[in-house]
Amino acid sequence: MSYTFLWYATRGAGAVSMVLLSGVVILGILSALRVQATGWPRFLTTGLHRNVALTAVVFLALHIVTAVVDPYTHLGFGAALVPFSSYYRTFWLGLGAVALELMVAIVITSLVRGFVGHRAWRLIHWLAYACWPVAIIHGFGTGTDVWSVWFLALAAICIGAVGVATVVRLTTQPVDPLAGAKVAFRSSVDRRQLP
Amino acid sequence: MNPPRLLAGRNLSAGPESFAEHTARLGQLLSRGPELIETLVHSGLSGRGGAAFPVGHKWRAAVARFKGSGIVVVNGAEGEPRSKKDSLLMATRPHLVLDGAVLAAQALQAREIVLYVGEEHQAARIAMERAVAERSEGERRLMRMTSAPARYVAGESSAAVHLVTSGVALPTTTPAAPALVQNVETLAHVALIARFGQDSATVLVTVAGGVTHPGVLEMETSATVGSAVTLAGGVIEPARAILLGGYFGTWMGVDDAWGLPLDPAALRERGLSLGCGVIGVQPRSRCAVCETAGILRYLARESSAQCGPCFFGLRALADACSRIAGSGTNADDLHRLERWAVEVRGRGACKHPDGAVMFLQSALRTFAPEFAHHAAHDSRRTA
Repeated sequence: MSYTFLWYATRGAGAVSMVLLSGVVILGILSALRVQATGWPRFLTTGLHRNVALTAVVFLALHIVTAVVDPYTHLGFGAALVPFSSYYRTFWLGLGAVALELMVAIVITSLVRGFVGHRAWRLIHWLAYACWPVAIIHGFGTGTDVWSVWFLALAAICIGAVGVATVVRLTTQPVDPLAGAKVAFRSSVDRRQLP
Repeated sequence: MNPPRLLAGRNLSAGPESFAEHTARLGQLLSRGPELIETLVHSGLSGRGGAAFPVGHKWRAAVARFKGSGIVVVNGAEGEPRSKKDSLLMATRPHLVLDGAVLAAQALQAREIVLYVGEEHQAARIAMERAVAERSEGERRLMRMTSAPARYVAGESSAAVHLVTSGVALPTTTPAAPALVQNVETLAHVALIARFGQDSATVLVTVAGGVTHPGVLEMETSATVGSAVTLAGGVIEPARAILLGGYFGTWMGVDDAWGLPLDPAALRERGLSLGCGVIGVQPRSRCAVCETAGILRYLARESSAQCGPCFFGLRALADACSRIAGSGTNADDLHRLERWAVEVRGRGACKHPDGAVMFLQSALRTFAPEFAHHAAHDSRRTA
Protein backbone atom coordinates (compact mmCIF):
# COMPACT_ATOMS: atom_id res chain seq x y z
CA MET A 1 0.00 0.00 0.00
CA SER A 2 2.61 2.53 1.12
CA TYR A 3 4.69 1.83 -1.99
CA THR A 4 1.81 2.87 -4.22
CA PHE A 5 1.39 5.97 -2.09
CA LEU A 6 5.03 6.96 -2.70
CA TRP A 7 4.64 6.37 -6.41
CA TYR A 8 1.55 8.58 -6.59
CA ALA A 9 3.33 11.23 -4.53
CA THR A 10 6.25 11.21 -6.98
CA ARG A 11 3.94 11.67 -9.95
CA GLY A 12 1.82 14.33 -8.26
CA ALA A 13 4.79 16.32 -6.99
CA GLY A 14 6.41 16.04 -10.43
CA ALA A 15 3.35 17.54 -12.13
CA VAL A 16 3.06 20.29 -9.51
CA SER A 17 6.78 21.05 -9.93
CA MET A 18 6.27 21.42 -13.67
CA VAL A 19 3.47 23.94 -13.15
CA LEU A 20 5.36 25.90 -10.48
CA LEU A 21 8.64 25.96 -12.39
CA SER A 22 6.80 27.19 -15.48
CA GLY A 23 5.27 29.91 -13.30
CA VAL A 24 8.70 30.83 -11.98
CA VAL A 25 10.13 31.14 -15.49
CA ILE A 26 7.19 33.26 -16.65
CA LEU A 27 7.38 35.55 -13.60
CA GLY A 28 11.14 35.85 -14.11
CA ILE A 29 10.59 36.89 -17.71
CA LEU A 30 7.82 39.32 -16.71
CA SER A 31 10.13 40.99 -14.21
CA ALA A 32 12.95 41.11 -16.76
CA LEU A 33 10.44 42.78 -19.10
CA ARG A 34 9.65 45.18 -16.24
CA VAL A 35 5.92 44.63 -16.49
CA GLN A 36 3.98 46.71 -13.96
CA ALA A 37 0.70 48.48 -13.24
CA THR A 38 -0.61 51.00 -10.71
CA GLY A 39 -1.78 48.39 -8.22
CA TRP A 40 1.10 46.07 -9.06
CA PRO A 41 4.58 47.65 -8.78
CA ARG A 42 7.38 45.62 -10.30
CA PHE A 43 8.96 44.64 -6.97
CA LEU A 44 5.89 42.46 -6.37
CA THR A 45 6.65 40.45 -9.53
CA THR A 46 10.18 39.72 -8.35
CA GLY A 47 8.91 38.94 -4.85
CA LEU A 48 6.34 36.51 -6.23
CA HIS A 49 8.99 35.03 -8.56
CA ARG A 50 11.16 34.30 -5.55
CA ASN A 51 8.36 32.89 -3.40
CA VAL A 52 6.99 30.61 -6.13
CA ALA A 53 10.56 29.43 -6.83
CA LEU A 54 11.07 28.48 -3.20
CA THR A 55 7.71 26.68 -3.20
CA ALA A 56 8.79 24.80 -6.33
CA VAL A 57 11.95 23.69 -4.49
CA VAL A 58 9.76 22.09 -1.83
CA PHE A 59 7.69 20.15 -4.37
CA LEU A 60 10.80 19.19 -6.30
CA ALA A 61 12.33 17.84 -3.09
CA LEU A 62 9.13 15.86 -2.47
CA HIS A 63 9.23 14.56 -6.05
CA ILE A 64 12.84 13.39 -5.72
CA VAL A 65 12.72 12.03 -2.18
CA THR A 66 9.56 9.99 -2.74
CA ALA A 67 11.04 8.57 -5.96
CA VAL A 68 14.32 7.66 -4.29
CA VAL A 69 12.89 6.05 -1.17
CA ASP A 70 10.29 4.07 -3.12
CA PRO A 71 11.55 0.49 -2.57
CA TYR A 72 9.98 -0.63 -5.85
CA THR A 73 12.58 1.18 -7.96
CA HIS A 74 15.69 1.01 -5.70
CA LEU A 75 16.96 4.23 -7.25
CA GLY A 76 19.21 5.49 -4.48
CA PHE A 77 20.19 9.13 -3.98
CA GLY A 78 23.15 8.71 -6.33
CA ALA A 79 20.76 8.43 -9.26
CA ALA A 80 19.13 11.73 -8.30
CA LEU A 81 22.40 13.59 -7.79
CA VAL A 82 24.80 12.13 -10.39
CA PRO A 83 23.46 12.55 -13.92
CA PHE A 84 23.12 9.39 -16.01
CA SER A 85 24.23 7.11 -13.15
CA SER A 86 20.85 5.43 -12.73
CA TYR A 87 20.46 1.82 -13.88
CA TYR A 88 16.79 2.57 -14.44
CA ARG A 89 15.84 4.75 -17.45
CA THR A 90 19.38 6.10 -17.42
CA PHE A 91 18.88 8.86 -19.97
CA TRP A 92 15.53 10.25 -18.81
CA LEU A 93 16.39 10.23 -15.10
CA GLY A 94 19.78 11.69 -16.02
CA LEU A 95 18.00 14.68 -17.55
CA GLY A 96 16.10 15.10 -14.28
CA ALA A 97 19.40 15.10 -12.34
CA VAL A 98 20.87 17.68 -14.76
CA ALA A 99 17.84 19.94 -14.31
CA LEU A 100 18.07 19.52 -10.54
CA GLU A 101 21.71 20.55 -10.49
CA LEU A 102 21.09 23.58 -12.68
CA MET A 103 18.27 24.60 -10.39
CA VAL A 104 20.39 24.14 -7.25
CA ALA A 105 23.04 26.41 -8.80
CA ILE A 106 20.40 29.04 -9.63
CA VAL A 107 18.78 28.93 -6.19
CA ILE A 108 22.01 28.99 -4.19
CA THR A 109 23.55 31.86 -6.16
CA SER A 110 20.29 33.77 -5.66
CA LEU A 111 20.30 33.19 -1.92
CA VAL A 112 23.88 34.47 -1.63
CA ARG A 113 23.72 37.04 -4.40
CA GLY A 114 25.48 39.56 -2.16
CA PHE A 115 28.56 37.37 -2.04
CA VAL A 116 28.78 36.19 -5.65
CA GLY A 117 28.08 39.61 -7.12
CA HIS A 118 25.46 40.70 -9.63
CA ARG A 119 27.31 39.68 -12.78
CA ALA A 120 28.00 36.09 -11.69
CA TRP A 121 24.47 35.75 -10.38
CA ARG A 122 23.01 36.94 -13.67
CA LEU A 123 25.20 34.58 -15.68
CA ILE A 124 24.12 31.60 -13.59
CA HIS A 125 20.50 32.76 -13.72
CA TRP A 126 20.52 32.47 -17.53
CA LEU A 127 20.84 28.70 -16.94
CA ALA A 128 17.11 28.77 -16.14
CA TYR A 129 16.54 28.78 -19.90
CA ALA A 130 18.35 25.41 -20.03
CA CYS A 131 16.98 24.04 -16.76
CA TRP A 132 13.30 24.35 -17.60
CA PRO A 133 13.30 22.57 -21.01
CA VAL A 134 15.54 19.79 -19.68
CA ALA A 135 13.09 19.25 -16.80
CA ILE A 136 10.14 19.20 -19.22
CA ILE A 137 11.85 16.66 -21.50
CA HIS A 138 12.61 14.56 -18.41
CA GLY A 139 8.90 14.60 -17.60
CA PHE A 140 7.87 13.55 -21.10
CA GLY A 141 10.56 10.87 -21.26
CA THR A 142 9.78 9.09 -18.04
CA GLY A 143 6.50 10.46 -16.74
CA THR A 144 3.86 7.84 -16.00
CA ASP A 145 1.01 10.20 -16.76
CA VAL A 146 2.39 11.64 -19.97
CA TRP A 147 -0.37 10.41 -22.20
CA SER A 148 -3.24 11.15 -19.86
CA VAL A 149 -5.44 14.01 -20.97
CA TRP A 150 -5.02 16.10 -17.82
CA PHE A 151 -1.24 15.97 -18.00
CA LEU A 152 -1.13 16.77 -21.70
CA ALA A 153 -3.44 19.74 -21.13
CA LEU A 154 -1.36 20.99 -18.22
CA ALA A 155 1.90 20.55 -20.12
CA ALA A 156 0.47 22.28 -23.19
CA ILE A 157 -0.54 25.29 -21.10
CA CYS A 158 2.89 25.44 -19.39
CA ILE A 159 4.89 25.05 -22.59
CA GLY A 160 2.66 27.47 -24.45
CA ALA A 161 2.87 30.15 -21.76
CA VAL A 162 6.63 29.85 -21.29
CA GLY A 163 7.06 29.79 -25.08
CA VAL A 164 5.08 32.99 -25.58
CA ALA A 165 6.88 34.72 -22.70
CA THR A 166 10.28 33.67 -24.09
CA VAL A 167 9.47 34.91 -27.58
CA VAL A 168 8.34 38.27 -26.17
CA ARG A 169 11.50 38.42 -24.06
CA LEU A 170 13.73 37.70 -27.05
CA THR A 171 12.01 40.21 -29.34
CA THR A 172 11.80 43.18 -26.95
CA GLN A 173 14.72 45.05 -25.54
CA PRO A 174 13.57 46.34 -22.16
CA VAL A 175 14.96 49.67 -21.06
CA ASP A 176 16.22 49.92 -17.50
CA PRO A 177 13.70 52.22 -15.78
CA LEU A 178 16.29 52.75 -13.06
CA ALA A 179 18.90 54.04 -15.52
CA GLY A 180 18.01 57.72 -15.27
CA ALA A 181 17.67 57.70 -11.49
CA LYS A 182 20.91 55.72 -11.16
CA VAL A 183 22.88 58.26 -13.17
CA ALA A 184 21.29 61.17 -11.29
CA PHE A 185 22.05 59.71 -7.89
CA ARG A 186 25.55 58.66 -8.83
CA SER A 187 26.45 62.13 -10.04
CA SER A 188 25.26 63.56 -6.72
CA VAL A 189 27.64 61.36 -4.71
CA ASP A 190 30.57 61.29 -7.15
CA ARG A 191 33.51 63.25 -5.73
CA ARG A 192 36.21 62.09 -8.12
CA GLN A 193 36.49 65.47 -9.87
CA LEU A 194 37.25 67.32 -6.66
CA PRO A 195 40.83 67.79 -5.46
CA MET B 1 38.70 58.72 38.59
CA ASN B 2 35.31 59.31 37.01
CA PRO B 3 35.53 60.35 33.39
CA PRO B 4 34.18 63.79 32.48
CA ARG B 5 31.31 64.23 30.06
CA LEU B 6 31.98 64.48 26.32
CA LEU B 7 31.01 68.14 26.21
CA ALA B 8 32.72 69.15 29.48
CA GLY B 9 35.15 72.08 29.28
CA ARG B 10 34.70 75.46 27.67
CA ASN B 11 31.33 76.91 26.74
CA LEU B 12 29.96 75.26 23.60
CA SER B 13 29.27 78.60 21.94
CA ALA B 14 32.96 79.55 22.34
CA GLY B 15 34.00 77.46 19.35
CA PRO B 16 36.28 74.44 19.08
CA GLU B 17 38.54 73.46 21.96
CA SER B 18 42.23 73.82 21.02
CA PHE B 19 44.72 70.98 21.38
CA ALA B 20 46.49 72.78 24.26
CA GLU B 21 43.24 73.25 26.12
CA HIS B 22 42.19 69.66 25.39
CA THR B 23 45.42 68.16 26.79
CA ALA B 24 45.45 70.53 29.77
CA ARG B 25 41.94 69.37 30.65
CA LEU B 26 42.25 65.63 29.97
CA GLY B 27 46.00 64.96 30.00
CA GLN B 28 48.19 63.48 27.28
CA LEU B 29 46.79 60.62 25.28
CA LEU B 30 48.96 57.60 26.04
CA SER B 31 49.68 55.24 23.20
CA ARG B 32 47.61 52.07 23.45
CA GLY B 33 47.77 48.75 21.66
CA PRO B 34 45.26 46.00 20.92
CA GLU B 35 44.69 45.51 24.68
CA LEU B 36 42.39 48.55 24.47
CA ILE B 37 39.92 46.34 22.63
CA GLU B 38 39.31 44.21 25.74
CA THR B 39 38.71 47.40 27.75
CA LEU B 40 36.15 48.46 25.14
CA VAL B 41 34.41 45.09 25.24
CA HIS B 42 34.29 45.36 29.03
CA SER B 43 32.93 48.93 28.88
CA GLY B 44 29.91 47.76 26.89
CA LEU B 45 30.18 50.78 24.55
CA SER B 46 27.95 50.49 21.50
CA GLY B 47 28.05 52.47 18.26
CA ARG B 48 26.28 55.83 18.21
CA GLY B 49 25.78 56.14 14.47
CA GLY B 50 22.47 54.28 14.47
CA ALA B 51 23.06 50.54 14.50
CA ALA B 52 24.27 50.40 18.14
CA PHE B 53 26.70 47.59 17.36
CA PRO B 54 29.03 46.67 20.29
CA VAL B 55 32.28 48.54 19.62
CA GLY B 56 34.72 46.10 21.27
CA HIS B 57 33.39 43.18 19.23
CA LYS B 58 33.53 45.23 16.04
CA TRP B 59 37.21 46.07 16.65
CA ARG B 60 38.02 42.48 17.52
CA ALA B 61 36.63 41.34 14.18
CA ALA B 62 38.44 44.19 12.41
CA VAL B 63 41.84 43.14 13.81
CA ALA B 64 41.51 39.77 12.14
CA ARG B 65 40.37 41.32 8.85
CA PHE B 66 42.83 44.22 8.70
CA LYS B 67 46.19 42.44 8.94
CA GLY B 68 47.92 45.82 9.06
CA SER B 69 46.41 47.20 5.87
CA GLY B 70 43.04 48.51 7.00
CA ILE B 71 41.75 52.05 7.22
CA VAL B 72 39.80 53.83 9.93
CA VAL B 73 36.90 55.92 8.64
CA VAL B 74 35.77 58.58 11.09
CA ASN B 75 32.09 58.91 10.21
CA GLY B 76 30.90 62.47 10.61
CA ALA B 77 28.57 62.44 7.59
CA GLU B 78 25.46 62.98 9.72
CA GLY B 79 23.03 62.90 6.82
CA GLU B 80 20.06 62.46 9.16
CA PRO B 81 18.08 65.70 8.65
CA ARG B 82 17.02 66.10 12.27
CA SER B 83 20.31 65.10 13.91
CA LYS B 84 22.75 67.77 14.99
CA LYS B 85 24.85 66.00 17.61
CA ASP B 86 27.73 64.78 15.43
CA SER B 87 28.33 68.16 13.82
CA LEU B 88 28.13 69.86 17.22
CA LEU B 89 30.66 67.43 18.69
CA MET B 90 33.10 67.92 15.81
CA ALA B 91 32.67 71.69 15.90
CA THR B 92 33.32 71.94 19.65
CA ARG B 93 35.44 68.93 20.77
CA PRO B 94 37.31 67.86 17.62
CA HIS B 95 40.32 66.52 19.53
CA LEU B 96 38.21 64.04 21.45
CA VAL B 97 37.13 62.58 18.10
CA LEU B 98 40.70 62.59 16.74
CA ASP B 99 41.96 60.89 19.93
CA GLY B 100 39.46 58.08 19.37
CA ALA B 101 40.53 57.77 15.74
CA VAL B 102 44.20 57.60 16.69
CA LEU B 103 43.44 54.93 19.29
CA ALA B 104 41.54 52.91 16.70
CA ALA B 105 44.42 53.18 14.25
CA GLN B 106 46.86 52.04 16.96
CA ALA B 107 44.72 49.12 18.16
CA LEU B 108 44.06 47.90 14.63
CA GLN B 109 47.44 48.89 13.15
CA ALA B 110 45.58 50.77 10.44
CA ARG B 111 47.57 52.52 7.72
CA GLU B 112 45.26 55.50 7.34
CA ILE B 113 42.63 57.57 9.14
CA VAL B 114 40.03 59.17 6.88
CA LEU B 115 37.91 61.94 8.33
CA TYR B 116 34.56 61.68 6.54
CA VAL B 117 32.70 64.87 7.38
CA GLY B 118 29.38 65.96 5.87
CA GLU B 119 29.96 68.69 3.28
CA GLU B 120 27.01 70.67 4.66
CA HIS B 121 28.52 70.83 8.18
CA GLN B 122 30.71 73.90 7.66
CA ALA B 123 31.65 74.63 11.29
CA ALA B 124 32.49 70.97 11.92
CA ARG B 125 34.68 70.79 8.81
CA ILE B 126 36.64 73.89 9.76
CA ALA B 127 37.10 72.77 13.37
CA MET B 128 38.27 69.31 12.31
CA GLU B 129 40.70 70.73 9.72
CA ARG B 130 42.22 73.06 12.33
CA ALA B 131 42.39 70.27 14.88
CA VAL B 132 44.29 68.02 12.48
CA ALA B 133 46.83 70.81 11.93
CA GLU B 134 47.44 70.94 15.69
CA ARG B 135 48.31 67.24 16.04
CA SER B 136 51.79 65.73 15.98
CA GLU B 137 53.45 65.16 12.63
CA GLY B 138 53.17 61.38 12.98
CA GLU B 139 49.42 61.58 13.51
CA ARG B 140 48.94 64.15 10.78
CA ARG B 141 50.65 61.91 8.30
CA LEU B 142 48.04 59.21 9.03
CA MET B 143 45.08 61.53 8.60
CA ARG B 144 43.20 62.59 5.50
CA MET B 145 40.08 64.71 5.31
CA THR B 146 37.32 64.06 2.80
CA SER B 147 33.77 65.32 2.52
CA ALA B 148 30.62 63.25 2.66
CA PRO B 149 28.03 64.16 -0.01
CA ALA B 150 24.87 65.60 1.54
CA ARG B 151 22.71 62.57 0.79
CA TYR B 152 20.96 60.36 3.32
CA VAL B 153 22.72 57.10 2.35
CA ALA B 154 26.19 58.70 2.13
CA GLY B 155 26.66 58.06 5.86
CA GLU B 156 25.94 54.36 5.45
CA SER B 157 29.19 52.56 6.22
CA SER B 158 29.69 50.78 2.88
CA ALA B 159 28.94 54.04 1.05
CA ALA B 160 31.54 55.79 3.21
CA VAL B 161 34.16 53.14 2.40
CA HIS B 162 33.22 53.29 -1.27
CA LEU B 163 33.79 57.05 -1.32
CA VAL B 164 37.14 56.71 0.45
CA THR B 165 38.41 54.03 -1.95
CA SER B 166 36.89 55.10 -5.25
CA GLY B 167 35.41 58.57 -4.80
CA VAL B 168 31.75 57.60 -5.15
CA ALA B 169 29.51 57.33 -2.07
CA LEU B 170 27.32 54.44 -3.23
CA PRO B 171 26.28 51.69 -0.81
CA THR B 172 27.68 48.28 -1.76
CA THR B 173 26.79 44.79 -0.61
CA THR B 174 30.35 43.72 -0.01
CA PRO B 175 32.87 46.11 1.58
CA ALA B 176 35.18 47.70 -0.95
CA ALA B 177 38.21 47.51 1.38
CA PRO B 178 39.01 46.42 4.93
CA ALA B 179 37.84 49.41 6.93
CA LEU B 180 36.53 50.29 10.36
CA VAL B 181 33.76 52.83 10.04
CA GLN B 182 32.96 54.42 13.36
CA ASN B 183 30.69 57.31 14.26
CA VAL B 184 32.38 60.43 15.69
CA GLU B 185 30.53 60.27 19.02
CA THR B 186 31.55 56.64 19.43
CA LEU B 187 35.21 57.58 18.92
CA ALA B 188 34.91 60.39 21.48
CA HIS B 189 33.66 57.84 24.02
CA VAL B 190 36.61 55.61 23.12
CA ALA B 191 38.95 58.51 23.93
CA LEU B 192 37.42 58.78 27.41
CA ILE B 193 37.46 55.03 28.03
CA ALA B 194 41.15 54.82 27.04
CA ARG B 195 42.02 57.56 29.55
CA PHE B 196 39.76 56.71 32.46
CA GLY B 197 39.13 52.99 32.07
CA GLN B 198 35.39 53.56 31.90
CA ASP B 199 32.89 55.47 29.84
CA SER B 200 31.22 58.76 30.71
CA ALA B 201 27.92 56.83 30.63
CA THR B 202 26.35 59.62 28.62
CA VAL B 203 24.72 59.84 25.24
CA LEU B 204 24.33 62.76 22.85
CA VAL B 205 20.75 63.30 21.74
CA THR B 206 19.09 65.82 19.45
CA VAL B 207 15.68 66.86 20.70
CA ALA B 208 13.71 68.09 17.69
CA GLY B 209 10.21 69.19 16.82
CA GLY B 210 7.67 70.60 19.22
CA VAL B 211 9.88 71.61 22.16
CA THR B 212 10.78 75.08 23.42
CA HIS B 213 14.55 74.72 22.85
CA PRO B 214 15.30 72.15 20.16
CA GLY B 215 18.93 71.10 20.08
CA VAL B 216 21.66 68.78 21.28
CA LEU B 217 21.87 67.55 24.86
CA GLU B 218 24.34 65.27 26.59
CA MET B 219 22.23 63.00 28.79
CA GLU B 220 23.15 60.38 31.37
CA THR B 221 22.25 56.95 30.01
CA SER B 222 20.23 56.43 33.19
CA ALA B 223 18.01 59.41 32.28
CA THR B 224 14.76 59.02 30.37
CA VAL B 225 13.37 60.22 27.06
CA GLY B 226 10.94 62.39 29.04
CA SER B 227 13.71 64.07 30.99
CA ALA B 228 15.48 64.98 27.73
CA VAL B 229 12.27 66.58 26.44
CA THR B 230 11.89 68.46 29.72
CA LEU B 231 15.49 69.60 29.61
CA ALA B 232 14.89 70.92 26.09
CA GLY B 233 12.36 73.31 27.61
CA GLY B 234 9.42 70.96 27.51
CA VAL B 235 6.75 70.57 24.85
CA ILE B 236 5.27 73.69 23.27
CA GLU B 237 1.85 72.03 23.26
CA PRO B 238 0.59 68.54 24.18
CA ALA B 239 2.57 65.99 22.15
CA ARG B 240 0.87 63.30 20.06
CA ALA B 241 3.89 60.98 19.61
CA ILE B 242 7.65 60.73 19.82
CA LEU B 243 9.95 59.61 17.02
CA LEU B 244 12.81 57.72 18.61
CA GLY B 245 15.96 57.50 16.46
CA GLY B 246 15.37 59.69 13.42
CA TYR B 247 13.97 58.67 10.03
CA PHE B 248 15.04 55.04 10.46
CA GLY B 249 13.53 55.13 13.93
CA THR B 250 10.26 54.26 15.59
CA TRP B 251 7.15 56.34 16.26
CA MET B 252 5.82 55.74 19.75
CA GLY B 253 2.96 57.03 21.83
CA VAL B 254 4.08 59.70 24.30
CA ASP B 255 3.20 57.57 27.32
CA ASP B 256 5.15 54.58 25.95
CA ALA B 257 8.22 56.66 25.13
CA TRP B 258 8.33 59.05 28.10
CA GLY B 259 9.77 56.68 30.72
CA LEU B 260 12.20 54.86 28.41
CA PRO B 261 15.85 55.00 29.47
CA LEU B 262 18.44 56.52 27.10
CA ASP B 263 20.67 53.50 27.70
CA PRO B 264 21.40 51.65 24.43
CA ALA B 265 21.67 48.27 26.18
CA ALA B 266 18.42 48.69 28.10
CA LEU B 267 16.64 49.81 24.92
CA ARG B 268 17.98 46.84 23.00
CA GLU B 269 16.46 44.52 25.60
CA ARG B 270 13.07 46.05 24.79
CA GLY B 271 13.68 45.65 21.07
CA LEU B 272 14.11 49.41 20.69
CA SER B 273 16.98 51.66 19.69
CA LEU B 274 17.98 55.25 20.12
CA GLY B 275 19.38 55.04 16.59
CA CYS B 276 21.28 58.21 15.78
CA GLY B 277 19.99 59.86 18.98
CA VAL B 278 17.11 61.90 17.58
CA ILE B 279 14.11 62.43 19.84
CA GLY B 280 11.46 63.98 17.62
CA VAL B 281 8.40 65.44 19.34
CA GLN B 282 5.22 65.47 17.24
CA PRO B 283 2.77 68.15 18.46
CA ARG B 284 -0.90 67.19 18.55
CA SER B 285 -1.92 69.95 16.15
CA ARG B 286 0.37 68.70 13.40
CA CYS B 287 -1.06 66.10 11.03
CA ALA B 288 0.75 62.81 11.61
CA VAL B 289 -0.36 61.30 8.29
CA CYS B 290 1.03 64.23 6.29
CA GLU B 291 4.21 64.16 8.36
CA THR B 292 4.68 60.43 7.68
CA ALA B 293 3.97 60.90 3.97
CA GLY B 294 6.53 63.70 3.77
CA ILE B 295 9.28 61.71 5.46
CA LEU B 296 8.50 58.63 3.39
CA ARG B 297 8.72 60.71 0.21
CA TYR B 298 12.08 62.05 1.36
CA LEU B 299 13.41 58.53 2.05
CA ALA B 300 12.12 57.30 -1.33
CA ARG B 301 13.99 60.15 -3.07
CA GLU B 302 17.13 59.31 -1.12
CA SER B 303 17.27 55.76 -2.50
CA SER B 304 20.50 55.34 -4.45
CA ALA B 305 18.45 53.65 -7.24
CA GLN B 306 20.66 50.60 -7.34
CA CYS B 307 18.05 48.07 -6.26
CA GLY B 308 14.60 47.96 -7.86
CA PRO B 309 12.63 46.96 -4.74
CA CYS B 310 14.11 49.91 -2.82
CA PHE B 311 13.68 52.52 -5.55
CA PHE B 312 10.28 51.41 -6.86
CA GLY B 313 9.03 49.94 -3.62
CA LEU B 314 9.66 53.05 -1.54
CA ARG B 315 8.24 55.19 -4.32
CA ALA B 316 5.08 53.06 -4.47
CA LEU B 317 4.76 53.30 -0.66
CA ALA B 318 5.31 57.06 -0.70
CA ASP B 319 2.72 57.41 -3.51
CA ALA B 320 0.13 55.41 -1.57
CA CYS B 321 0.83 57.37 1.62
CA SER B 322 0.66 60.69 -0.26
CA ARG B 323 -2.70 59.73 -1.78
CA ILE B 324 -4.08 59.14 1.72
CA ALA B 325 -2.52 62.39 2.95
CA GLY B 326 -3.74 64.38 -0.03
CA SER B 327 -7.25 63.06 -0.62
CA GLY B 328 -8.15 61.21 2.57
CA THR B 329 -8.14 57.60 3.70
CA ASN B 330 -9.03 54.90 1.20
CA ALA B 331 -9.02 51.22 2.05
CA ASP B 332 -6.98 50.18 -0.99
CA ASP B 333 -3.99 52.39 -0.24
CA LEU B 334 -4.07 51.62 3.47
CA HIS B 335 -4.01 47.93 2.64
CA ARG B 336 -1.19 48.47 0.13
CA LEU B 337 0.92 50.30 2.73
CA GLU B 338 0.68 47.36 5.11
CA ARG B 339 1.21 44.67 2.49
CA TRP B 340 3.96 46.29 0.44
CA ALA B 341 5.95 47.28 3.51
CA VAL B 342 6.46 43.59 4.21
CA GLU B 343 7.39 42.96 0.57
CA VAL B 344 10.06 45.65 0.41
CA ARG B 345 11.86 44.76 3.61
CA GLY B 346 15.20 43.00 3.24
CA ARG B 347 15.24 43.46 -0.54
CA GLY B 348 18.02 46.02 -0.88
CA ALA B 349 21.80 45.70 -1.01
CA CYS B 350 21.97 48.07 1.96
CA LYS B 351 19.50 48.62 4.79
CA HIS B 352 17.89 51.75 3.33
CA PRO B 353 14.56 50.08 2.44
CA ASP B 354 14.48 48.26 5.79
CA GLY B 355 14.93 51.47 7.76
CA ALA B 356 12.26 53.28 5.75
CA VAL B 357 9.81 50.40 6.10
CA MET B 358 10.32 50.08 9.85
CA PHE B 359 9.65 53.79 10.14
CA LEU B 360 6.43 53.40 8.12
CA GLN B 361 5.25 50.37 10.07
CA SER B 362 5.71 52.16 13.39
CA ALA B 363 3.74 55.12 11.96
CA LEU B 364 0.89 52.83 10.88
CA ARG B 365 0.86 51.33 14.38
CA THR B 366 1.15 54.54 16.40
CA PHE B 367 -1.11 56.64 14.17
CA ALA B 368 -3.64 53.88 13.43
CA PRO B 369 -6.65 56.11 14.27
CA GLU B 370 -5.33 58.98 12.09
CA PHE B 371 -4.61 56.66 9.15
CA ALA B 372 -8.05 55.05 9.48
CA HIS B 373 -9.95 58.35 9.42
CA HIS B 374 -7.78 60.81 7.53
CA ALA B 375 -9.68 63.47 5.67
CA ALA B 376 -8.22 65.74 3.02
CA HIS B 377 -7.29 69.14 4.39
CA ASP B 378 -5.62 72.28 3.12
CA SER B 379 -3.06 73.04 5.74
CA ARG B 380 -0.41 70.64 6.97
CA ARG B 381 -0.84 72.13 10.41
CA THR B 382 -4.34 70.92 11.16
CA ALA B 383 -5.30 67.34 11.83
